[in-house]
Amino acid sequence: MSAGGPSPDAFAHDRLIEAVALRRDREAFAQLFSHYAPRLKAWLINSGASPAAAEDFAQDAMLTVWRKADLFDARKARAATWIFTIARNRRLDMLRRDARPLPTPEIELAETEVQQPDDILSASQDAKRIRDALSRLKPDQVEVLRLAFFLDSPHSEIARRLDLPLGTVKSRIRNAMIKLRIILEPSEGAPR
Amino acid sequence: MNPKHNPSEERLLAYAAGSLSPPEAVVVAAHLALRPTNDAWVRRLQAVGGEFLEEVAPVALSADSLTRTLALIETDAGEARSTAPLNDMPELPEPLRRYALGPWRWIGPGIRARDVHAPRDGACRVILLKIDPGRETPRHTHGGVELTCVLSGAYATETERFDVGDLEEADHDVLHQPRVVSDIPCLCVVALDGEIQLDGWLGRLMQPFVRL
Repeated sequence: MSAGGPSPDAFAHDRLIEAVALRRDREAFAQLFSHYAPRLKAWLINSGASPAAAEDFAQDAMLTVWRKADLFDARKARAATWIFTIARNRRLDMLRRDARPLPTPEIELAETEVQQPDDILSASQDAKRIRDALSRLKPDQVEVLRLAFFLDSPHSEIARRLDLPLGTVKSRIRNAMIKLRIILEPSEGAPR
Repeated sequence: MNPKHNPSEERLLAYAAGSLSPPEAVVVAAHLALRPTNDAWVRRLQAVGGEFLEEVAPVALSADSLTRTLALIETDAGEARSTAPLNDMPELPEPLRRYALGPWRWIGPGIRARDVHAPRDGACRVILLKIDPGRETPRHTHGGVELTCVLSGAYATETERFDVGDLEEADHDVLHQPRVVSDIPCLCVVALDGEIQLDGWLGRLMQPFVRL
């Protein structure tokens, strides 16, 4: 984890993406690039890529950010989430020989929007709640969740990296997910 | 809502993280389009992914990385968003509309299937299955996992009923014989992994079913 934790100007990144979308603003793109490209590179290195391949990936993902900036909607996802999803989809495309992009309803569809009182939180409020929730999990639970996001075939690779039995990894992930849901969605009727 | 008819938390996490196998991800995407509460939860999990991306310790890029990317932008033809055409089934949920579909094939009395040309993963593939009211599939089990999402109508197994949006996960431990209980045909999207193993002499006669 970086010493500074989440960047205090994360909200400003939303406006940078909007500037790219509206004005094809290269300066705004350069700022996004300097923040996210080194993190995307780190992500790929963590998942086992070579530094050179990881850098190519970061550049490619940022190019996709440039192309798709007009699809960004700050009400639905903040910058980090949106860029994470873009990168996730790029990675999936590249991992497949049959590189037909998967549908990404989570970003591009407005019709499935659910209007629930609990859901009318802005993306930035939601981000704060997620940080709070992660801080309430045990460190080893956060660790398996992080690895689940960064590795390609999570369960077996996590087990190998942490030198734990597969069953332990699975139950740790399950417990982390249950706790995350209880913290984030207490009204959903999760066991309390 | 029967929690057993939702994807497991691990499966939703894998979907959000992008590590679910492509055919299974197609079925989960259809489920999420029909279950807004689960869709909202997956969005939230993706925000967890965004948070992890913010937190990761950055690794320095080579000095000319930004310059090279800006050069790519200058020569970029712009929209690389080549959207696949919509298929011929407007009744499908949006995530399934842009996959090409194979022809309907007769599988058995009152049972038709067509391929969904989504990315395969080894032996795992995606099909649409349409079964008429009152009909049932041969009793069968699976070499791998069968993930099914009901798109219209309803079916029941020996013990449970599955309605629109419900997701059923069956593996080799499950020997089942789904029967359509709605008065309209039941349309499902199914990710099939491994060979289907039919049970009993009647099932074994129904060779076309194995072709699924």
